[in-house]
This record gives sequence, C-alpha cells and structure tokens, in this order.
Amino acid sequence: MHKKSFFKSWLNKKISRKEFLKLCLSGAALLTVENRFIKLVNAALKSDSSFGRLKKDIEGLYDLVVASGDDPYSSTARAVELIGGMEKFVKKNSVVLIKPNIAWDRTPEQAATTNPDVVAALIDLCFKAGAKRVNVFDNACNSAKQCYANSGIEKKAKEHRANVFFPSHWNTLSAKFNYKSPMENWPIFREALECDTFINVPILKHHGLTELTLSMKNLMGVCGGTRGQIHFDIATKLVDLTGFINPDLTVIDAYRVLVRHGPAGGNLDDVVKMNTIIVGTDPTLTDTFACKLMDTDPLSIPYIKNASERNFGSIDLDAARILRVDV
Amino acid sequence: MIKKKLICIRRFTQSIFLFVFIYILWSATYPLRSFLAPEIFFKINPLIVFSAGLAERLILKGAVLTVSMIMFTLILGRFFCGWMCPVGTMIDIAGGLTKTKKSLPLMINNRLKNFKFYILLSIALLSLWGIQAAWALDPVVIMARFISFNFIPAATFIMEEALISLIKFFNLYTPLLDFYRMLKGSILGVKAHYFSNAGIIFFIFLSICSLSLLIRRFWCRILCPLGALYAVLTRFSWLERITSGCIFCTKCKVDCRMQAIRPDISYDKPECILCMDCIYSCPKSITKFCFIRKDESKVKSKNLNKQKGISRRDFLLLGVIATSAFFFRFRHKNDNILKNSFIIRPPGALEENKFLNRCVRCGNCMKVCPTNGLQPVSLESGLSGLWTPQLVPEIGYCEYNCNLCGNVCPTDAIPRLEVKKKQKMRLGLAKINRNLCLPWKKKKECIVCEEHCPIPDKAIKLKKERIEGKTVLRPYIDMELCNGCGICVTKCPTRPLRSIKIFAIRTDRTLQ
Repeated sequence: MHKKSFFKSWLNKKISRKEFLKLCLSGAALLTVENRFIKLVNAALKSDSSFGRLKKDIEGLYDLVVASGDDPYSSTARAVELIGGMEKFVKKNSVVLIKPNIAWDRTPEQAATTNPDVVAALIDLCFKAGAKRVNVFDNACNSAKQCYANSGIEKKAKEHRANVFFPSHWNTLSAKFNYKSPMENWPIFREALECDTFINVPILKHHGLTELTLSMKNLMGVCGGTRGQIHFDIATKLVDLTGFINPDLTVIDAYRVLVRHGPAGGNLDDVVKMNTIIVGTDPTLTDTFACKLMDTDPLSIPYIKNASERNFGSIDLDAARILRVDV
Repeated sequence: MIKKKLICIRRFTQSIFLFVFIYILWSATYPLRSFLAPEIFFKINPLIVFSAGLAERLILKGAVLTVSMIMFTLILGRFFCGWMCPVGTMIDIAGGLTKTKKSLPLMINNRLKNFKFYILLSIALLSLWGIQAAWALDPVVIMARFISFNFIPAATFIMEEALISLIKFFNLYTPLLDFYRMLKGSILGVKAHYFSNAGIIFFIFLSICSLSLLIRRFWCRILCPLGALYAVLTRFSWLERITSGCIFCTKCKVDCRMQAIRPDISYDKPECILCMDCIYSCPKSITKFCFIRKDESKVKSKNLNKQKGISRRDFLLLGVIATSAFFFRFRHKNDNILKNSFIIRPPGALEENKFLNRCVRCGNCMKVCPTNGLQPVSLESGLSGLWTPQLVPEIGYCEYNCNLCGNVCPTDAIPRLEVKKKQKMRLGLAKINRNLCLPWKKKKECIVCEEHCPIPDKAIKLKKERIEGKTVLRPYIDMELCNGCGICVTKCPTRPLRSIKIFAIRTDRTLQ
C-alpha cells in the first residue's frame, strides 16, 4: 500500500465541530500564556533605574591644585598628592572608575583625547592607595576600537593594570531625578554608577557649541542612548548629569590644548602646549578655572552659567583656596 | 592502523581549509592582524583572476598565486574541488546527512555535466566582451558572502545574546562580565552585523547545499564554473587512476560522488575530484592513483577522440567568439549613465565601468568596514552592479583614519591607499536640508554634524546668526573641504529623515 505523506493526510482529515472548538480554545490559551511569558521576560530584561551616585563631599586640602611641568605623569602625581593624596578619595579594596576622553580617533599629539600619561599616573595612584580594581572606559564617537588604540590610552592603561573595556549598551541604568529634569530616564552605563570613586579626566579643548569642552561635557561619555539628542538644552542636561554622577575628583588635562576646530581637531597647528594639570573636587570650580586659563568668560559657557544660577558648586575663584606649583 | 587513511587525511584537510576560510574572514576586522591576508582565497582562484583580468585586459596583482594553483592542478588534477574548496566541504557535509546514493541515468548525466562548461564558456565570452561575470557563480565568492554576511553576524549575535541573557537573568555580573568584555575586545568585536540582501545570499548558499541532498555533489558536477575550469586543466594532469586486474563488481561506480566512473570502470578524468572513495570501496584493493608516463595514458584515451579536424559546431563557436570582439564596445555605450551614478562608492574606488568589472562581490570590504557602512547594492546600479559595495551613511560612515577596505580587496577594485591619501579622496558632497535641520528650521541648538566632522579644518562651519531675537549657530558646508565621509549623516539626530545627505557628485575615482 502506498503511504500518504503527513501533510496530505493532515489536509484531508475531517474534523468535528467539537474538535475544532477545542483546537481554537487551546490555541488561544497557548497564545495568552505566551504573551504573559514574553511580558515577564521583557520586564526582567528591562534596565533598572537609579537615583545616581551619592555625594561624598570629600574636602581636599585645597579647592584647586594647578601643577605645571613638562612631564604630565609627574605633574598629575604631584597635584593629586598636594590636594590631599589619593588615599583621601580611594578607600582600600574599592572600585575606581577613571573616565578619560577617548571619544575621537586621534593621536595624543592632536590633543582631542586625554593624555595617556595623565591616565597612567591616576591609575598608579589609585592602586597605590589600595584600589581593588580600576576601570577605564568611554563611549566613543568614532569606531571604538580605533579610538582606544590610536589615543594610546588602551595600551598605557593596560600596562598599568587597569581594566579597559568598551561600554555595553545593554548594561545601563535609567536615570531618575527628584526634580523635573530633561535627563529623566536617560540610560547611564552601570559601571559609571557602581563604583566607589569616580575620577573625571577630561581634556581641555575648544568646542563648537559650548565653546570649551570641560569636565561636565566629558561626562556625556557615561551616557548611552542617542548621543546627538543631548545637545538640545545641553546646559541643563549637563548640570543635571553632573549632579547625578557626582564625580569625586576632577583632573583636567591642559597639557596640550586644542584651541580651534574642536572637539575633534586633527591639526597640529591648532594645538597649544600649556603644560598644566588642574585638580579639584568641585567640577564647577575646576571648569571655571580652566575657562580663566583659556581667557574665556566662564559665564559665556552655557553649563557653567546654568550651574551658577542653580548654586551648583561655586564659580568664585577669589574665594577659593588655589595652590599653584611648578613640578 | 587507521582505516581508510586517505579519506581521513582528505576530511582533515577539508576541515582545516574550511576553518582557515572562516578564520581569515572572521579576523578581517580593525587591526587586520591575522597571519593570512583576507584576499588570499580569491587570489588563488583562477576563475576570478582570469575573468577579471580578461575583462579589464590586464594582469592582476597576485596572479602568480593563481599560476601556482594551475601548476598543481596540471600535476594532480581537480584536487581543489575535493580537498580545498570550502563549498565542496559544505556540500559533502550536507550530502552526508542522507544515506541515499542515487545516481543519474548515464545519458542525462553526460548531458548535464557539460552544462558547467557552457557556464564557463559564457563567463569567458562575457569577459572577452569586457564584462566580468564570474562573481555570480564562483563558489569561493558565494561561500565568502555567506560567511561574511550570514554566518559571522549570526554566530556573534547568538553568542552575545546568550552571554547577555546569562548575565542578566542569573545576575552573574561579577564572574561573567569581565569574560564578556574580553570577548567583546577580541572575537565578538565584529561590528559588521547588518547587510542588505543577506536573505537572498543565504538562500543561494542554502540551495547549493540542499541540492546535494537530492544528488551528491550536484553543484560541483553540473553548475560550478570553477570546477569546470579545473576540469579543463585536469585533462592534461599526470595523476591517473589505475584499475588493472579489475573484476567489474561496479562497487566504485556506485560509490563515486561525482559519477565519474563509466560502466566499463574506466573513469572520466576531468570529473574526478580525487576524493579517494573508490580506493576503499574496491573489494580487491586494486584501484590506486599514481603518476604514469604520458604514452601509456595516451593509449587509453586514443579511442575517445574519434573525430579529427574541426567540427561544424566548433566552427560556429569560434565564429561567435570572433564576432564578439565587435560587441566589445557596446559595454561602453552607457558610460554616461555610469558616470552619473548616485551610488556612493568606497574611497578611491576605480571608475564605475572598471569598478564593476574588477569587483568580484566577495564582500571583504563590507565585512572589514568598522562602521558597517559599506552595504551590498541591490539593483540600484543595474544587474551588473548587484552586490557591489556602496556606502550607506544612514548606517555607517567612512572612518577618517581607516583604509581597510582597500587593503582587503582581492582585485584592487578599491585601491590600496595610504591613510593620508585616502583622507583626501572625495566620496561625495554633503548637503544640508534646511527644511529639516534643527538650527535652520526650528532655531534649536544642535552642532552634532560640525562636532563630528573629522576634517581638521572642519568641512562644516558654524555661523552665529541672530534670528527673531535669538542667537543660533547654523551649519554651512565648506564645499572645498568636504570629502563626503558621511559621519554627519550617521550622527544627525533628526528622524526619520536626516537633515543632511551625501550626494555622489564630484567624486575622486582612481583611473587605473
């Protein structure tokens, strides 16, 4: 006898009304269960939210230490030592995040990314202070691999035993605020929030919209989501973000400074050697000082203006305790 | 003692070559540090090298490697098909899924097996006319497209998703996250994950493999033009199959995957891919392959060439080839259309006409592109431009400090340029759509295009303008500086349409 194929027999099968109803009901039940399951899975996968890092208010010996010297490594080390030493900021067995600027595919000489020696000095100081682990990452604008390699930071940081990695866009927490903020629900990388000490290491350079790229602007690198969208209402967003992250220590690298065609640069003629490292605990004050260094009115920078209007940090350089050293 | 030693060696060699093939394509990504160049498999492919060379009337770089392959074939025979070809390996794997050893009737087989020679002939004729058509049916290219566009994206996606869900569901952040990051820095760091037309490319590969479920090595016997080319060369090879003292049990005939053994146990030499199956299916173990002197082999094949002189059919064929020289010029008729192509080609690509001839659609440039911006063209540039690379700035831009696409091109359709030189190659020109652009239309703050512009002197300039009592920074394009890399389009925040677009005008194309 010729055996019918499975499909043919199934198609020719007669089905009773009862069976048909049974089939329909079981199908509907299955779909409902599946729908539930998918909802549960989605709920489990949804990123958690966070109200940001707690403000620690660690007071340094000075509000600002400005070190100038030919060697960025030793000036950074000296400046941190003078503000009270890394032990003040980094506790034993703690996790430290160093957030340099690795946003562009440029060499250190082109001064669009943080000087690798400054990062290396900070990593060494953190480990000396007893840090368990030092993370280094940035959300790059160009291809991340190229940026990490050409900026020289990946190699230097790995030599100094830090963990360098690419941020993963699934591993974020959505930001929550006690007040109304345009940054509400913005995805922030988990590593930036789950660390004991946050060290912000921007490079001082020119920028088209905010005139200067400073520590607050550098914090954009811990945000996931669509980067371009941050630029609307950038002042409020950056100040909210700084209040959300609360960096413990801000180290502005003004060793080589890009004075035109920022933030990406690329021309060696646009780079001016200033040989300066600014270390401070208050991001607003540090940014204000950096503006003065560049002969720019701090209030012309939108986010410093916004911060001063909201009493977020101080912009009063005369009242601040500033120490200048030559290394 | 291993049973079927030669077959074991063959399978081992096949899997090594398949593995190497996947490895070199997988490692064709940013630092380009693999020990073999990604274009090596195409450089040893005579079909590609000859048809591209003939169509363009030049000798391609690296043709020496092809000549060495031909020398080996002249000594051994069609060893490439049985021992090296990655598609052949996949077909063998697929064919191994079924136990049936169906064979075609002799007459049908004799007719069908000639089909591949006609395909080869048409490819050769087209190249003579100045059209390179080897890309459509060359097995290595088909395999490379499958690996680059389907296999690697799918494999990385599955591995990554599995790791992510493991980490998220079971809260394994501490133990697994570092491992995940390490993989992300090495093998999972492949950023090219979306390719248009990937479905069709997969379907073609799938049908080639699944045909072997019906008839063993169907593709190799009937369709493969590369196999045909090797078959033509194999006629002159030295290695011969010897069956002296045969008892005519026809076991080898049933086992032969290429159906190369005739009913009288003599074998069809061009069809034999040296798979070594018949050595072990012989109950008396008398079948063997060895090098024999020419005069001995001649005696055997003498009876086959009954006709002498040129037949009417061959004469007509020659006539067609000769007249085809006249048709050579028709290719250049549509120069104008091609010159005004709106497709953004990779940096410094050859002139459109030459580019279409040189490009073998292997997908290397698209695989290696760090931003995933290079995509296969569907039919926008006609059938002759199918699956050639184009830059889609909405997906990814041309990285300023990167010249990888030129470094992996097997036929130099995209020339190898120094990074400095590549940076000056213009792919097109950016234009701002002032009806969409935020500072232009809505007077909002947005400088994303200017910020990302990689040209040191900025091809997008911002001008402060006061409009209705509000100071707005508005972007303007500097036509002199813009090289059309497209990063402004990629990063432009307006959706669904970007307010800046790259037009393929005023492009720099390499002449030779």
